[in-house]
Amino acid sequence: MRLLRWLVVPLLVIPIGLLLFSGLGRDPSEIPSPLIGQPVPAFTLTTIDGTSVSSEDLRGRPLVVNFWASWCGPCVEEHAVLLEAQDRYGEAATIVGVLYNDTADGARGFLARYGDGGWATLTDPSGGTAIDFGVTGPPESFFVDATGIVRYKQYGPVTGAVIDAQLAPLMASR
Amino acid sequence: MLPDLGHVAIVIGLAASVYAALAFAIGARRRDAVVVHSARRAVLVSFVLAGIAATIMVISLLTHDFSVLYVARNNATTTPPFFSVISLWAALEGSILFWTLLAVGWATLVLYRYRGMHPQLMSWVGATLAAINVFLFSVMTWPGNPFTRVTPIATEGPGPNALLQNHPFMGLHPPLLYLGYTGLAIPFAFGIAALITRRTDDAWLSIVRRWTIVPWIFLTAGIVAGAWWSYEVLGWGGYWAWDPVENAALLPWLTATAFIHSSMVAERRGGLRTWSVALVISTFVLTIFGTFLTRSGVVASVHSFTQSAIGPWYLAGILIALGASSALLVARLPDLRDRDTPTAVVSRESAFLFNNVLFLVITAVVILGTLLPLAVGIFGGGTIGVGAPWFNRVNVPLFVALLFLMGVGPALPWGGASLATLRDRFGPPLLVAAVAMLAAWALGMRELAPLATLGMALFSGGIMLDEVLRGTRARMRGRREAAPLAGWRLATRNRRRYGGYAVHAGILVMGIAIAVSATLSSDTSATLAPGESVTVGEYRVTYDRLVVEPLADDPRVIETRAEIRADGVAMATALRDYPNSETPIATPVVRTSLGDDLYVTLMAADPATGSVTLRVFVNPLVVWIWLGGGIVVFGAVFAIWPDRRRVGVARTAAAPAAVEPPRSLAEQESA
Repeated sequence: MRLLRWLVVPLLVIPIGLLLFSGLGRDPSEIPSPLIGQPVPAFTLTTIDGTSVSSEDLRGRPLVVNFWASWCGPCVEEHAVLLEAQDRYGEAATIVGVLYNDTADGARGFLARYGDGGWATLTDPSGGTAIDFGVTGPPESFFVDATGIVRYKQYGPVTGAVIDAQLAPLMASR
Repeated sequence: MLPDLGHVAIVIGLAASVYAALAFAIGARRRDAVVVHSARRAVLVSFVLAGIAATIMVISLLTHDFSVLYVARNNATTTPPFFSVISLWAALEGSILFWTLLAVGWATLVLYRYRGMHPQLMSWVGATLAAINVFLFSVMTWPGNPFTRVTPIATEGPGPNALLQNHPFMGLHPPLLYLGYTGLAIPFAFGIAALITRRTDDAWLSIVRRWTIVPWIFLTAGIVAGAWWSYEVLGWGGYWAWDPVENAALLPWLTATAFIHSSMVAERRGGLRTWSVALVISTFVLTIFGTFLTRSGVVASVHSFTQSAIGPWYLAGILIALGASSALLVARLPDLRDRDTPTAVVSRESAFLFNNVLFLVITAVVILGTLLPLAVGIFGGGTIGVGAPWFNRVNVPLFVALLFLMGVGPALPWGGASLATLRDRFGPPLLVAAVAMLAAWALGMRELAPLATLGMALFSGGIMLDEVLRGTRARMRGRREAAPLAGWRLATRNRRRYGGYAVHAGILVMGIAIAVSATLSSDTSATLAPGESVTVGEYRVTYDRLVVEPLADDPRVIETRAEIRADGVAMATALRDYPNSETPIATPVVRTSLGDDLYVTLMAADPATGSVTLRVFVNPLVVWIWLGGGIVVFGAVFAIWPDRRRVGVARTAAAPAAVEPPRSLAEQESA
């Protein structure tokens, strides 16, 4: 028993050391999402226009789930990228916006100001969907293939290059 | 020339700290007062040297000496003097220098404060503190040298980080936080010293309690000031986002608070001793952990400093502190037997125990949430999110339970309570809380969390108020004192108890304010042409005109300002373009009143048409969060304020430990 007590020391030091050491050389924005390769978390949410949209409804086409908020600065720049993506890929892929810690009113003002691309903007009043997706802060986007498997997660605003690189293969494999 | 002297000061500081650590240890082993005295001198010398180095850095910043890399990166010729001075802690290397100055300052203060008392214990306290100083000076000697030179010398620099030069609060929040962080090395050093000397008696507890509460006050004030800064500067209308760095400040606060409570059980009933020592150790390890998180680039955060080579040094520091202190704790376990005192389930001891369990669970939850992105990267799997909604969902019930204990704990007697006592003490407050919850529900508050917070806060507040009134009335009757005098004497005769009540009252105020402001705030965004208005709640905000001009005290900063009126009062909300920031920095305007805050952020402006997009928040009760924080700080200062009245008595009589808290040391401190 006496000796067993000493096990506490390595049991504390080694795992903590390994965990933190593994984080050292890494770019924190590149932490992979555990969702990659997994089915997209199921959700049924109401759009800011009052219609109901579920994850099942969105099956069958490549999907971009974009978590954003009207109070989020980088979301403004990202919005222009998404508008362009909607123009270019809107025929073959679906974009949905999910509000993160924001109200339908805030979103409407934002869309009126920066342009409404016509895709569904979903409200997530309890934050439950953001929790299921593991969102740490807006904007974050998930690229989902036509069978409903998450293929890529973008931390921070998506760029035109990211859209091209991530969305094209999803459409090709369809 | 001068900056090189700065680095020389650091290297000599390292040497002095190494000498101090060794001399304290040798002096303690040989019981040689002369060697210990020289070690203490060496700590004083290292404090002077850290002061010289910090002064040289401030001079370099004020004179815009761009031959110093740190200045070249964080200063501009146009930076106003105030922001030049506070740039000392605005970036990585400078902040370590400032940190070291404070840490060595605390060490010097404590070692000189207890000079000549408890020679064995204090020598090991000195050795531990000096070892920490060795670590800090060595970081600055090698990977994090603040005086690194650069050639060719630039003629202009980018200025401080735009977010950090936008509000004078930057001059207040980091120093308070750092004073808290660095001060928590003191209880750690006493913990280590107690383990080495096998001395965790009541005298020890009394010193450690006091020296935990002092940095705790700074840490509390620093956290509240940080939330306030975030509210006033960041423009998103909120004050707490569970950002990794906010969590890093909260973690040691949680364990330090747990210790302050568990130490009372240790003091009064002789229990929870091992536990208390483990808590002071964890608190210190968590302070380095917080520094590591912010300065190594391990997690993404708005607060992150630039990535640098100091990460591995801090990691080594954490592991050495954790490994050495846990090994020492294990080795001394047989000496840390608790006194066995029978305890009922419903008693003050068990309330304290639940309190500690809750604090520890919250600590674990916050650590888990902060590190999960890291762990997920290693092990894969798991689909748990770690954003603010997750933290809120998990932590809110735990905090509500703490509010409940806050009222129940102090009102329960030590040892055990009878049913009659329970009914007598808790009945009326319970009724008040229930009525208030019903009233809030009727007024439209439908969410469980804020209702429960309100109910628990009123319940606990009611219990405390009841007790203060009873005590005051007893004095009024017994000693024929007028009510205010009776209340004041009651409080000053037992500062710890009533100071603690004030701290609790402050937390209750903060709890209600947070619950209400988080759930009942309203906001809207509107794009307005000059002359148009938007209405939110009872406020009508009218937009007058757009002004684009350079800042008066720093012409490189271009301010885009929307001049607005709210209920006839003129104000302005702006976006500032700093030359070193790609995105404009919001400068929200906040009109504070006791009822609610009107908070207006400029989201976008179109100089061509003069139209602007404003986001208008009406946040109820937010000012009470800051006021509550003030009450907490006041209460804690009141609780540890030296009580001169009893000095004479205490010197002669050492009270038996289990009955009364030992006075002797506490009184010597105040003498």
